[in-house]
Amino acid sequence: METMEPTGLLSARGVVKSYWKGRNEVPVLRGVDLDLEPGEMLAIMGASGSGKSTLLHILGLLDSPDAGEVVLGGERIDTYRDRRRDELRNRTFGFIFQFYHLLPELTAFENVLVPQWIGCGLWSYLSQRRRLKREAEMLLERVGLSHRMHHLPSELSGGEMQRTAIARALAARPSVLLADEPTGNLDAASGQGVIELLRDLNRERGLTMIVVTHDPQIAQQADRVVRLAEGRVEEWSPALA
Amino acid sequence: MYKYVLCWRYLRTRYIALASVISVMLGVATMIVVNSVMAGFADKMKERLHGVLADVVVESFTLNGFYDWKEVMARIKKIAGNDVLAMAPTMECPGILHFRVNGEVMTRPVQIIGIIPSERAKTGDFAEFLRDMSGKKIEPSFAVPLAYREKTPAGELLKESHFDSTDPDDVRMKELLQDEMKQQAPDCGTILGYALATYHRKGHDDIYLARQGTKVGLLFPKYGETKSEAGFTTATTVGYFKSGMSEYDSMHVYLPLEELQQRRYLYDYERKVGAVNQIQIKVKPGVDINAMSRRIQDSLDRMRPMFYQVQTWEQKQGALLGAVAVEQSILNILLFFIIAVAGFGILAIFSMIVVEKTRDIGILKALGASTAGIRGIFLGYGLLLGAVGSGVGMVGGLLFVRYINEIEALLSKWTGRKVFDDSIYYFNQIPTIVEPLTVGWIVVGALTIAVLASIWPAERAARLHPVKALRFE
Repeated sequence: METMEPTGLLSARGVVKSYWKGRNEVPVLRGVDLDLEPGEMLAIMGASGSGKSTLLHILGLLDSPDAGEVVLGGERIDTYRDRRRDELRNRTFGFIFQFYHLLPELTAFENVLVPQWIGCGLWSYLSQRRRLKREAEMLLERVGLSHRMHHLPSELSGGEMQRTAIARALAARPSVLLADEPTGNLDAASGQGVIELLRDLNRERGLTMIVVTHDPQIAQQADRVVRLAEGRVEEWSPALA
Repeated sequence: MYKYVLCWRYLRTRYIALASVISVMLGVATMIVVNSVMAGFADKMKERLHGVLADVVVESFTLNGFYDWKEVMARIKKIAGNDVLAMAPTMECPGILHFRVNGEVMTRPVQIIGIIPSERAKTGDFAEFLRDMSGKKIEPSFAVPLAYREKTPAGELLKESHFDSTDPDDVRMKELLQDEMKQQAPDCGTILGYALATYHRKGHDDIYLARQGTKVGLLFPKYGETKSEAGFTTATTVGYFKSGMSEYDSMHVYLPLEELQQRRYLYDYERKVGAVNQIQIKVKPGVDINAMSRRIQDSLDRMRPMFYQVQTWEQKQGALLGAVAVEQSILNILLFFIIAVAGFGILAIFSMIVVEKTRDIGILKALGASTAGIRGIFLGYGLLLGAVGSGVGMVGGLLFVRYINEIEALLSKWTGRKVFDDSIYYFNQIPTIVEPLTVGWIVVGALTIAVLASIWPAERAARLHPVKALRFE
């Protein structure tokens, strides 16, 4: 397969990934090429099982490709050792999941602090805890949850949980935000609120982001939309829908 | 940072983990209580053993002993100098005690010990253990009070009768009664082991079988060149030896040294000296008695090879002290299994928690937590459970030990039966000694087991694939 030189901030080149169900190999990605420009909001669409989440996980170093490469800022990152992969997940990528994935024992405020807790050692955190806490408060205010800061996830609505998850994803000031069906578990109004928030963040901060969705209306709000089909990426426009 | 926060949060929110905290706590508390009580008992036992035996004992290999004990004592004094505080010559031999109770003859195997009471009192706690029938302490003496004689049938008859000193028949009768009184209460006094002279019934006062003034008979081996013959003497019970060690209290019978020497035909009437087969030596506190006993042994071997055996009190009771040490170790091993069981409890509960927290582990990994970090959460959690369990267990165990007698009284009141029967051990209270080093080892052991039990679940958590963990339902 012929692959092009990576050009964007984050690129996938010839990414192949299969899963095994017993003795049967199920190919999911069959050579994905994708480039993400700095400040771009890219939507990835596709049917269920098309490999959208798998691609997102590979791009965010949660998983490794069977073949191909992932390049960040001109450097191949999928071959990094665990420690550097962990650092990149903590500092460079921000994840937002369909099911929010907040830690149930921690309040909204504490959930937002988790990336900083992970990134800093004990003393490093303690020495700058005031600044980090203020930033976490500001993030929660930004996502409209200043009144719910000290509530546990079980006391929040779906929309509020997803906003908390967005604040958490922004806590370590990532370069790339990876959102996996962020509105998939929300009602239309909450979903719209969340996508508008993401759009605003993209514009305000020039935040590069990939939003995986199967909802064309959500996808339309992105700068560019690609579709995953047959394990490969193809450009998509609303007119094709 | 997240490791500490999550460990602490899991401890506060996962109540199932309390089960393992409680099992660690109970294990630690039990071990502390049992060790303290056993150390207390062992210490009391040692104290009593040491009270009965002098620091160093010189013995002859033969039962017949040696006549030149004054020379031996002089030699010891020369070797040990001022380190020796007192020495007591003693004649010890096996024998048989018998006395009458309600027309029946009671016969008991005993160890007969011939002593000079005032000397013996200087070499140990002998005088501390002497009691009369009311339990009061008595002087170390074999003197038979006149009152005991007067209480015999002949004595009472003598007291009640009026004798005419001019009537030869009356004089004769008085002499006969006086002889009879001496027969019924011999001049020679004896101190009997408390358990030999009494009958113990659980929950009741002990009954005296040989009361003060009771005549007892003693059989023992006499000196013989080629064959042993039985010697015999009678004596009047003047007191009881109550050391609290049943081995002694049920075996020891004390007689005046000279009486035993003469009755065993081991007395030189010309030189007015008898043989002894033991010299009890009390030394100054802080002196190395093992080194001293070796020095004495060397010197006495030069004097008369292969005849004397010099032992410290600990060596003489080596088997008993060794048995107590073995019992304590075995009990500790068994009790440690309790904590090991608690360890398996931690393992089971942690495995459950890891399954329950699979998705959280995925989230943490997605947010950049390292494999070592996830492992650290669960190892730290195990350590925290162990620390809380062993900390609370240590405090609980120490409080239990501190108030063990109050607790015993309360339990006895509730159950209606005595939990700690003080008549068995002759202790008023349960003896306890808390050894800080032992407590330290128990706590460290519990912490180690808690951490070891968390390794496997922690490793499982650490190796979870983030994507699989995030998709876990």
